[in-house]
Amino acid sequence: MADNAVSGAPSKRPLSPHLQVWRFTVTMAASITHRGAGVALYGGSVLLTLWLFALAASPALFSALAGFIQSPVGFVIVAGFVWSLCFHLLNGLRYLYWDSGRGFALKTARMTAWMVFIASVVIAALILWAGYAAAGSA
Amino acid sequence: MSKKGTSTFVIQRASAVILIPFAIWLLFNIVSLLGSDYETARAWFASPINALALGGFLIVAAAHMRIGMMEIIVDYIHSGLRGVLLLVNWLFCLGVIAGVAWAVYALSFAG
Repeated sequence: MADNAVSGAPSKRPLSPHLQVWRFTVTMAASITHRGAGVALYGGSVLLTLWLFALAASPALFSALAGFIQSPVGFVIVAGFVWSLCFHLLNGLRYLYWDSGRGFALKTARMTAWMVFIASVVIAALILWAGYAAAGSA
Repeated sequence: MSKKGTSTFVIQRASAVILIPFAIWLLFNIVSLLGSDYETARAWFASPINALALGGFLIVAAAHMRIGMMEIIVDYIHSGLRGVLLLVNWLFCLGVIAGVAWAVYALSFAG
């Protein structure tokens, strides 16, 4: 492998994270879900910026966006954003805990990964249920 | 990107920590906020605290998501497309910051 560094030829070493070669573990699932949720939040933040910009600049565009948010597709996007934020926040706390040098024991890492998956779903469901129940009764 | 690894690492952790309270605030408010009509939403952002809370979230998030997306692009894109995508990523995040900063000013401070 040392010759690659000299010749500058592309490395034949496996690239990480690899897209085709893997074995399922809950810690690996949490890792890839963290990235997926991050990408979803990226898109959601751009949309939220558009919503805020429309509120400041264009009542017509804002009304169109507000109508879209009320549609079934809009609900899926809002629910996806809420769950992604819950997951990325909770798993991000798990990563910050790792940064402190703790929580790496395999048993602990597996347990916290399961906790993040379950808690993110429960919290997102509560937020959506409470939010839409309040809107319905208003 | 080269030779900036340490500062990128630190910025990603620092922005993550700053985002924790903003994200919790957003989770409490987002459903009712997005369900608001025009007048309700304008009244909501007439309060600078609300505008700064959402604006702060989005601006710190822009810094955080630029690095996150950069890491994904660098991990998976090995062709000449990489540079283009990294530039597009930069422009998206700069666009978020500029759009949010202007909107917060217009909604809460201009009148």
